[in-house]
Amino acid sequence: MASTMVISPMTRIEGHLAVHTEISQTPDGQHRIASARCIGEMYRGIEKILQGRDPLDAQQITQRICGVCPISHGIASVLAQEMAYGVKPTHNGRILQNLIQASNYLQSHILHFYHLAALDFVDVKAILKYTGNNRTLRELRAWVERAVASGDAFAGAPFLPRYEVDQYAKSDEINWALLASYAQALELRTIAHEMAAVFGAKLPHSTSLVPTGVTQAPTIERILAFRSRLLKISHFIEDVYIPDVTTAAKSFPGYWDIGKSYDNFLSYGVFREEDSVGLSTRTFLPAGTVINGTWASLDPQRIREFVGQSRFSSASDRHPFEGETIPSPAKGYSWLKAPRYGGEPMEVGPLARVLVAYAAPGGDWVRRDVDRVLESLGVPREKMNSVLGRHLSRALEAVWIAKRCDEWLDELVVDGAPAQDFSLPRTGRGFGLTEAPRGALGHWMVIDEYKIGRYQCVVPTTWNCSPRDDRGVPGPVEKALEGTPIENPAQPIEAGRVVRSFDPCMACAIH
Amino acid sequence: MTQDVRFTRRELMKLGGLLAVGASLPARTAKVFADGAQKLLTTTRIVWIQAQSCTGDSVSLLNSVDPDPVDLLTRFISLVAHQTIGAAQGQTFMDALDKAREQGEYILVIEGSIPLDMPEACVIGDSTVESLLVRLIPRAKAVVAVGTCAAFGGLPAAEGNQTGAGSVSQLMTRHQLPIQGRLINCPSCPTHPKCLIGTLAYVAAKGYPQVDPELLTPTTFYGHSTHDECPRYHYYERKIFAKYLGDQHGCLFELGCLGPISYTECPHRQWNTGVNWCIRASAPCIGCSSPHFGKRKDFPFYRKGEHQHAVAYTEQDRKGGRP
Repeated sequence: MASTMVISPMTRIEGHLAVHTEISQTPDGQHRIASARCIGEMYRGIEKILQGRDPLDAQQITQRICGVCPISHGIASVLAQEMAYGVKPTHNGRILQNLIQASNYLQSHILHFYHLAALDFVDVKAILKYTGNNRTLRELRAWVERAVASGDAFAGAPFLPRYEVDQYAKSDEINWALLASYAQALELRTIAHEMAAVFGAKLPHSTSLVPTGVTQAPTIERILAFRSRLLKISHFIEDVYIPDVTTAAKSFPGYWDIGKSYDNFLSYGVFREEDSVGLSTRTFLPAGTVINGTWASLDPQRIREFVGQSRFSSASDRHPFEGETIPSPAKGYSWLKAPRYGGEPMEVGPLARVLVAYAAPGGDWVRRDVDRVLESLGVPREKMNSVLGRHLSRALEAVWIAKRCDEWLDELVVDGAPAQDFSLPRTGRGFGLTEAPRGALGHWMVIDEYKIGRYQCVVPTTWNCSPRDDRGVPGPVEKALEGTPIENPAQPIEAGRVVRSFDPCMACAIH
Repeated sequence: MTQDVRFTRRELMKLGGLLAVGASLPARTAKVFADGAQKLLTTTRIVWIQAQSCTGDSVSLLNSVDPDPVDLLTRFISLVAHQTIGAAQGQTFMDALDKAREQGEYILVIEGSIPLDMPEACVIGDSTVESLLVRLIPRAKAVVAVGTCAAFGGLPAAEGNQTGAGSVSQLMTRHQLPIQGRLINCPSCPTHPKCLIGTLAYVAAKGYPQVDPELLTPTTFYGHSTHDECPRYHYYERKIFAKYLGDQHGCLFELGCLGPISYTECPHRQWNTGVNWCIRASAPCIGCSSPHFGKRKDFPFYRKGEHQHAVAYTEQDRKGGRP
């Protein structure tokens, strides 16, 4: 017996998403998701807005695609421009771009785990039983008590209302610890944004990013301002974030077996380690694909976007250099296009980056860290393709990136040029491939008579929350939802856990 | 499918003696601490709706330090609906919105532009954002358009856009909803947390603030020229100009700086707890608080390539006067 289950809107992600599912009931009475559709619900048409503008505008306009990961759009645009202009970054410029992008990664990962995902696992009402001495928790309890006492119908907002199911963490101690971390993480993610602004001018939406580098020089005062904040963030990641993810994994072990998607993973590579631009440039986290366990190098020519089930009347099966974006609101079921690599749907994001780095040549240090953590958790590597595998990958990556930031600071030439002059060509084309916190991000730009002739963005959540393609093959999140057990279809908390493990960003995905 | 958003009876009983005290309080007590310097501490309800937005203003809200986000959420405002931060999802979220609407007395914060020519381009639950907002606005005691998109249309409303994106003010005009004394614009991309929270606190405690009659921006936060108060103004006076993007010295005007047409507190308040801001970082102001922000294709943010292609803007466009 099948029935329909709709989660609309899917909140605690970035942007506008609805999830429509068909639920089947097994003979023992349990509900499972039989099929799912991810419906992207907000369109702005940024690619069309870019056409006919000055190419330099692109790194400002594309940052506005997303207020959670603007830096990665700025970087993708800068990379595409550097290629089109035929210029390279300065030594400082490259490192400063890395530091700004890395800071925003740390900000985004902390925000995602605590403020977007954790409320699916933590029992916030456990605060009412709190009797310890943590000042924040005591005040949280007092706050809720005051609101209840005054008869406030929205006592505890925005943490309530929520799905009232018996599926939150059972242990008071775990709930209290995670609530304390939630509050602490709010402060730490603000500090991570300060760190990004030290060289990025302001966040969200940095004005400092430019082709060849940034506008802010690395003075000793700036480097200290960054490093002092990095220390705090690193301590938080190691002392709080990693233990909290481990605790969540131990409290919800079933989620090693829920949320499995295709075994197709794609990474464009991120954080340049050489003062150059283009595919051969070595990156800290490497580019590549892993399909059914086999690593291969990246070939951007294999990327296509399909629109058969999307709200666009433009041609389907186009490489981004030839792509078009013509809206047709009555057509298809989602505002996302369906990107495919060699015709296949690909999962992107921290899990993909970790698995690609694990399988890539030179990935010894990645293998060592991943194997050690999985061994301590008693989980085989095959189970990384799961809700918990995605959360763990994000946390592991945060450790690596924070450590690398510390080294990058030492590699800066104090007071050295953060950028260099360049000129704009009459015609040209370039692509910028990088990784946003939530996955592979590409910008493709064609310059015609000093202006942008064509601009196409293929964004992480475009890959992950992709609708079905022209062959009817579901996107990775749609696939990951299939088979998810649902205890109560009226309050399907399990579906939200699966979707959020991908950290969707819909404003990005559709743009 | 409606869920009870209140605590269960059993949970209430656990609160023990506190309830006895609480029973003597008036229902829905708004002010928690209503005395002296703490007069702004309220539990004013905020309903926050994201339209054609990038969530940047929501992220900027979380970058607040005075108050920090925990204090903000637990002492200053009651954030009864927020798509990114709130626990509620699916029907629970829509039910909470309905309930807030029934009870009224909230400040409605709108982030992002509204697709006035293509309503399907922004949908929340089973409703276009336009029809949802038209239901929510009349019950609000004030409407705050946060960020340049909500305030003025912003980049989604730029030349050549396909959705007919417009501002909250255009939406209210279209549906004949009264604007005067109700709508407040808090632009810049994103909004500065101090401007937003300061505005919310003022509205909660004192009512409608003094605003620019045309732009509806609170004069406290948007009354000063960025250019006039720029720390590099002395360079401008002496005609010493930065030569390329990344040049650490000189006025940034010849690189395209739009400080002269911008009215913000950036030179004083700076960004991200005051660690930096655009011009301090040698980055030209791109005019992100302006009603004209990014609107024209022939008015680039930077002047780098202007000698290479025809530009329709005039020097006066960049030097401004009040827009």
